[in-house]
Amino acid sequence: MPTVARAADSKVLRFVPQANLANFDPIWTTQYVVRNASLLVWEQLYGVDANLTPKPQMAEGHEVSDDFKTWTFKLRTGLKFHDGTPVLAKDAVASFNRWMFRDTMGAIIRKQLDAVEVIDDRSFRIRMNKPFTKMLFALGKASTPACFIMPERIAQTDPFKQISEYVGSGPMRFARDEWVPGSKAVFVKNDAYVPRDEPASWLAGGRRMYLDRIEWQILPDGATAAAALQNGEVDWVETPLPDLVPLLAKNKNIKVDVADALGNIGSFRMNHLNPPFNDVRVRRAVQMALSQPDYMRAVVGDDESLWSELPSYFTPGTPLYNEAGGEPLKGKRDIAGAKKLLAEAGYNGEKVVLCVATDVAITKNQGDVTADLLKQIGMNVDYQALDWGTVGQRRASKEPIDKGGWNIFHTWHAGADCVNPAPYTALDASGPTAWFGWPKSDEVQGHIAEWYAAPDLAAEKAAAVKINKASMEFVTYLQTGFFKMKQAWRNDVSGIVQAPFPVFWDVKKA
Amino acid sequence: MFAYIFRRVLATIPVMLLVALFVFSLLYIAPGDPAAIIAGDQATPEDVDRIRASLGLDRPFVVRFGEWLWHVVQGDLGVSIFTNLPVTHMISQRIEPTMSLMVLTLFLSLITAIPMGVLAAWKHGTWVDRLVMATAVFGFSTPVFVVGYLLAYIFALELDWLPVQGFVSISKGLWPCLRNLILPAVALGLVFMALIARITRATMLDVLSQDYIRTARAKGVGERGMLMRHALKNAAVPIVTIVGIGFASLIGGAVVTESVFAIPGLGRLTVDAILRRDYPVIQGVVLLFSFMYVLVNLGVDLLYTLFDPRIRY
Repeated sequence: MPTVARAADSKVLRFVPQANLANFDPIWTTQYVVRNASLLVWEQLYGVDANLTPKPQMAEGHEVSDDFKTWTFKLRTGLKFHDGTPVLAKDAVASFNRWMFRDTMGAIIRKQLDAVEVIDDRSFRIRMNKPFTKMLFALGKASTPACFIMPERIAQTDPFKQISEYVGSGPMRFARDEWVPGSKAVFVKNDAYVPRDEPASWLAGGRRMYLDRIEWQILPDGATAAAALQNGEVDWVETPLPDLVPLLAKNKNIKVDVADALGNIGSFRMNHLNPPFNDVRVRRAVQMALSQPDYMRAVVGDDESLWSELPSYFTPGTPLYNEAGGEPLKGKRDIAGAKKLLAEAGYNGEKVVLCVATDVAITKNQGDVTADLLKQIGMNVDYQALDWGTVGQRRASKEPIDKGGWNIFHTWHAGADCVNPAPYTALDASGPTAWFGWPKSDEVQGHIAEWYAAPDLAAEKAAAVKINKASMEFVTYLQTGFFKMKQAWRNDVSGIVQAPFPVFWDVKKA
Repeated sequence: MFAYIFRRVLATIPVMLLVALFVFSLLYIAPGDPAAIIAGDQATPEDVDRIRASLGLDRPFVVRFGEWLWHVVQGDLGVSIFTNLPVTHMISQRIEPTMSLMVLTLFLSLITAIPMGVLAAWKHGTWVDRLVMATAVFGFSTPVFVVGYLLAYIFALELDWLPVQGFVSISKGLWPCLRNLILPAVALGLVFMALIARITRATMLDVLSQDYIRTARAKGVGERGMLMRHALKNAAVPIVTIVGIGFASLIGGAVVTESVFAIPGLGRLTVDAILRRDYPVIQGVVLLFSFMYVLVNLGVDLLYTLFDPRIRY
């Protein structure tokens, strides 16, 4: 290949994302793939670093009153949107207002909010009527929806309607004219972008781009993606098929590594409204029989470096992780004990509707293990093989079983979303307003409120211990284990880091 | 003839209306919720309800169908629920890859299957016949995705002759376009090839046993002339019919082939739309496919007149 052509090619990264970028509004949808693409185009006021600590990104800094009720922010200089207009405080305020309507932390802020006020072009103030200590995390968290800053005219869109302009201030621009949903999305370098001086760390620090163009190639078939990587047709595959990872690892032109050390938590979600799981004894019976290694081997295979047992609701290796109350998930599984507890709860062979999304390997594999587990403890399982789109609809039903209701579905939660209660929708036990399954426990909610009010890490940890213990006893949901996925890339690409999202800044291609 | 074509085109209108009603009704009663998919796994049930309402999915069937049909009559297939792009724009982005794939598949299938079928009939009962039929059985019984993976492994990964995936527009050159389409066209065309080869053989065997062929032979017509001019022309009507019918299976096969070879065509658009319950896109694509199918059938009917002068419209 001629030198000039090779040099040009070295500025183009061909990336295979985890899913299709079917829309591009990171507030309207909470899909991770949309968040990941949005990180290239939009920025946040703050951004969490690899230690999960929020650091200034678009913000120069902030001031907070002693009572944690008034937060004042100032934007850093040199920020410009891709259409050339400067980023102003009014843009940040409009974006904050739209985000608040779609985010769980935003909803809490909204309840305690007095006002959001523009002070001048670069400054704005958030006034709360109660102390709110988690403001920086709320603004800088990576979990969806993240608080991305858009021009005011775009941010004024109804949060339940999709935006139609994709103008951000980030290091890359979205090439809308090249977007073929389901096939390709292209991002081109924003030459006007001025990165921060600090070294990059996840969403914090300077976002230095060494690539002129990033092409997202949507390859729905995992085997095709692996073949394309082996053949040098793509440079980086975000989530290669676990079955094909050993094959890729043997290829001398390819590097394979853990994608995200924070991993994922497998979830066995029960409907607390319908019998038999409206009885805590039934939930505990399943808990004492559930074998996490069975689930993890079904999900990620025999490579034990990729999974571990998880007697906790929090992500291993993060500050709030604790195993208080986790004993029922440890040690030898107690099938006989589970049967006895089911009998005590009066379970008498009622049908248990297990909704399994068979088009998603992780949910399908978990569903198969669950069907076997429930049969072992004497439950009457109605295994319903559905696609994810149908499970998504079905799980929203609060109806009883004979009217199309459900008992169990499986999913998984990104470890980055389970580091604390704020982004952790599955932990919420507020009943009607909780996540699907609608668990209701005043005790769990009380401890979550303690965490929100905690002034420092020690107090947060103390609250987390109580949350874990109460959630384990109440069995808000069942963890099927902790697992990590791998990513793979060509040897001529460097700078790829482990993170809950693909980090493109500092990535170079030889 | 023109009056016939005009009548046939007019007749497509009630057919398309019925298809539209059928597809819309089917999607209405099918399970699945685009609002839940848009909202994502972290969204609350209330968020899902709000999104559903904002998309107008909570309105009655009649209102939704009437509104959609009114727009379709005006040439507007609506806007994708997910991408916010007009369905016509999404279809226009995808039509070239699918049409290129189908044309190449048809071309490869016809130039290989018809000679194979003729040869098998001519050499009836010999090893040539058995070889052709064994190849046809292999073509019938091997799923498209298996052939696709095998071809990609051999010709892309091992020999490095052709790319594993992707599509290059013909506007960027004939060879770059063909390079990306050869493997998918062979994978997709194998079943079609087998079907045409078998039908050609069966029809040719029937024609070759006719009296006029015996007469032609007795008059000293050469084998090639007898096969091509007398036998094949008379066998063409059933072959053309099966090519038309096979077009539908080609559309079905394109869905799988486009996924395996990552070709951004209408097949993948359809699958993606179905999995996401992107109703306007599904409806638009199904209408298009139905219209194409009606046109292909019309084309087949018109071709009959070329091969059989007795047929008049």
